Amino acid sequence: MLRVPLSKALPNAVKAVCSPKRGSTTLAKAPEKIEVFIDDKSVMVEPGTTVLQAAAMVGVEIPRFCYHERLAVAGNCRMCLVEVEKSPKPVAACAMPVMKGWRIKTNSDMTKKAREGVMEFLLVNHPLDCPICDQGGECDLQDQSMAFGSDRSRFTDIQFSGKRAVEDKDVGPLIKTVMTRCIHCTRCIRFASEVAGIDDLGTTGRGSDMQIGTYVEKFFLSELSGNVIDLCPVGALTSKPYAFTARPWETRKTESVDVLDAVGSNIIVSTRTGEVMRILPRLNEEVNEEWLSDKARFSYDGLKRQRLITPMLKGPEGELLPVEWEDALSFASKAIRDAGSEIGVIAGGQADAEALIALKDLINKLGSELVCTERAFPDDGAGTDLRSSYLLNSKITGIEEADVVLLIGTNPRFEAPLVNSRIRKAWVHNELEVGLIGPCVNLTYSFDHLGEDPNVIEEVLSGKHPFAKKLLNAKKPLIILGSQQLERNDGVAILSKVQQMAKHLSSKIGSEWKVLNILQQVASQVAALDLGYKAGVESLKECPPKVLFLLGADECAITRDDLPQSTTVIYLGSHGDNGASMADIVLPAAAYTEKQATYVNTEGRAQQTLVAVTPPGMAREDWKIIRAISEVVGKKLPYDTLNEIRGRLEQVSPNLTRYGEAEEANFYDQAVELSKEACNKLDCEPLEVKYKDLEDYYMTDPISRASTTMAKCVQAVRKQKESKYYDSGTA
Amino acid sequence: MAASELARKGPKLVKPILSIDHGEARRRVLNLYKTWYRQIPYIVLDFDIPKNIEQCRAKLREEFRKNAHVKDVRVIDMLVIKGQMELKETVHGWKTKGHVMTFFKDTQEPKPEGFLAKFISGTN
Amino acid sequence: MAKYLGLDKLQTFAKIIKQNGGIKGSLYKLYRQDELKLGTLVGEDKYGNKYYENNMYFYGRNRWVEYADYYYLDYDGSQVPAEWFGWLHYKTDLPPHLDPSRPKYPWMADHTENLSGTAKQYVPYSTTRPKIEAWCPPKKK
Repeated sequence: MLRVPLSKALPNAVKAVCSPKRGSTTLAKAPEKIEVFIDDKSVMVEPGTTVLQAAAMVGVEIPRFCYHERLAVAGNCRMCLVEVEKSPKPVAACAMPVMKGWRIKTNSDMTKKAREGVMEFLLVNHPLDCPICDQGGECDLQDQSMAFGSDRSRFTDIQFSGKRAVEDKDVGPLIKTVMTRCIHCTRCIRFASEVAGIDDLGTTGRGSDMQIGTYVEKFFLSELSGNVIDLCPVGALTSKPYAFTARPWETRKTESVDVLDAVGSNIIVSTRTGEVMRILPRLNEEVNEEWLSDKARFSYDGLKRQRLITPMLKGPEGELLPVEWEDALSFASKAIRDAGSEIGVIAGGQADAEALIALKDLINKLGSELVCTERAFPDDGAGTDLRSSYLLNSKITGIEEADVVLLIGTNPRFEAPLVNSRIRKAWVHNELEVGLIGPCVNLTYSFDHLGEDPNVIEEVLSGKHPFAKKLLNAKKPLIILGSQQLERNDGVAILSKVQQMAKHLSSKIGSEWKVLNILQQVASQVAALDLGYKAGVESLKECPPKVLFLLGADECAITRDDLPQSTTVIYLGSHGDNGASMADIVLPAAAYTEKQATYVNTEGRAQQTLVAVTPPGMAREDWKIIRAISEVVGKKLPYDTLNEIRGRLEQVSPNLTRYGEAEEANFYDQAVELSKEACNKLDCEPLEVKYKDLEDYYMTDPISRASTTMAKCVQAVRKQKESKYYDSGTA
Repeated sequence: MAASELARKGPKLVKPILSIDHGEARRRVLNLYKTWYRQIPYIVLDFDIPKNIEQCRAKLREEFRKNAHVKDVRVIDMLVIKGQMELKETVHGWKTKGHVMTFFKDTQEPKPEGFLAKFISGTN
Repeated sequence: MAKYLGLDKLQTFAKIIKQNGGIKGSLYKLYRQDELKLGTLVGEDKYGNKYYENNMYFYGRNRWVEYADYYYLDYDGSQVPAEWFGWLHYKTDLPPHLDPSRPKYPWMADHTENLSGTAKQYVPYSTTRPKIEAWCPPKKK
């Protein structure tokens, strides 16, 4: 695939661009820096640096269309032409490595003329439809033609031949194409083949007949496909759900965090007239770089459908009827008072830390300890007492440094697409070797499939398996264990084996490098475990409480059949889904764009969402509902404001309020020692993952299940499968 | 030097707004009160407000009592001037019925106090 | 002479009483429409409203309508159909039932009175989709 040619063709550029951190490994023989002059300003750069990068170091930004920091250099737009003294021709700054003593003029007459010429050529065939173009206002071509283009047009179409026109492509339900606007920067092609790992896009034809497309009629379906919209410098690729809904200058931007998977991608929520118009990625090198998965980007229409907007009580005929808050609170607290200490909680995948702590405090005050999360985690051994056993300890950036990765029972491509894109990045640029124990899925890069049987873990641990040698020889090995495997009956055994393996490997390396990684699937799990929630609902199934609180729990971990008739189920959440359907009392809460709330991602990094829009109707912030109930019940919780409840969070777990920082975990050895005592028998049932196919990826939680865009994606994948061009090996 | 001396003497040397001393200010207040008092029957009639003369007089008393704690002559004068402005606007019909009724802010609901009340009203 | 003595007023009064159905009838009419008038019946519309004219009264009061009995006290101006409206307001002197050139088509709608304030009144409603679609709880089987 792409792997070899790229790293060979662009050894310097790729390293300089993509691995600032990995510079340390080659520090021993650091090459001498060379001096170049950008507009007569001297700058010392490493050899191999391109003119464009050297200019960026002194704060001179050279206009560009095709060049992108995170993609390979193409050098085909020619917008970055600059004059180099004593060079007869202008040079393309993005592709030209600097030479010693070069004097680069980024603002000379020759440079300006070159830019004007390039711009004129681009505009010859670019339609003048900015007023109806969705890119208008954030279009690179628009901006740069204002800044660097000529002030008048020489374009007089005396033959009335018209501008070049290209037929639009149907590439799926997410990306709208207006191919006439395309300027052939090939960013989308490079993104698809380098980052997304799908060689679907390419060019056909030459010169003015050149077209970007999929060769055959086919959708561009990937879990990262939405990023080509951001990459496209013009309006050729725009967002289909966002088409014609808003202009960038009229939206209000709120920095927030995505909660649809456990990565915690940083996002910007664009809102207008109290409505979420779109979601864009926000740059965070440590989490999502500048990418965003499709579910996070496009499922925002799920925030407007299937919402709970009034409290509801079960009526005489067993139907939920809307009521006022007063009634809902008094009914809920009556049920809670009657239940006494027989009360339990299940926290769902999108519960925020504030709600989790408030609910836990309330339940504990009522004298119960039955606070559980939906996702299970083995309780034997160290259980969830030691953070190291449920975090992605090496951090997402750690993957870039790794040289061997062993994935156990996980499909990171759909459980955490941006973790997978990091693995792929390391695979492309860092010669990463990947092994997979679990179902053989398409991860967009090649890997050694070691089998589906859990006993392979044992084999690798004992060193019998050939892959064990690779792990042992690795300088920075990583083991990533999918949290789903811990829900199995032999979960504790799998965790124990993996911990032993990790300990064995790290003792061999003997450095600070962390080998053991658990990849969580839901955004709330780490915070819940940090706060002392019990993982899994087994204890609730054993002794069903009289009142069961569902804090956004929609995965049917407990169904109505598991509970006696007399149990009152109180559902607290934002969407009407499985949880609300089985509830007796429904309390409408805010979704993640509607509250300022704390989430901890799979690395243990605390991040907060901010309020982009107000909760709809009578919905309130989750923790406030719990606080209100506590007052009506007569067990008033001692916090009234967000700051106070965050003070409480800090008391329980100080890392939860250190926003942006991933708190390190420790005590690996102790966790291993404790887990050795636990049951060590592996089942022979093969490892299974929940999301195997792109189809399974789109609708996984209440928000994405309510989203029509996501439903269309699922349909598109199904349609693609029927296509004669469908190849299950590459999709 | 002169400035600091002036500042020390400051409170005694302030320029009066209307009244020289407390007695005069008091006369002005009583004067304003009486004028309002006499105008009330006409106001009730002209604006056709759903209040009777007694209620209006009680409100008048209440409004004056509200500032009973004010001792500073200049502040009293200022309040008197404001009261006169209100009176003028009312009597000349520059106000409408709604403006007159804002003296009785019956339609304005008090802001919810306490967490639960704020929670139910959705304001916090 | 009688006129000079004002006896004609008494005569007219007697006529009015008579036309309005005797003392009892007159009291009832006075109660219902606050006045008693003397006039010639010009016509009656399909809803039972009767139209009178008496040019003895001053212009502007010489044409009037007596609403049909079933309205009792619940009558108002919008119950006069459009064709009689013209005659009542002096747009024409030709009463509609005597006017041969008045257009009549099968598609012409019946007259409706103003329904404001009743259950049948028109209430404007939004045709835009709500920004937030609420969840409808599934119906129990």
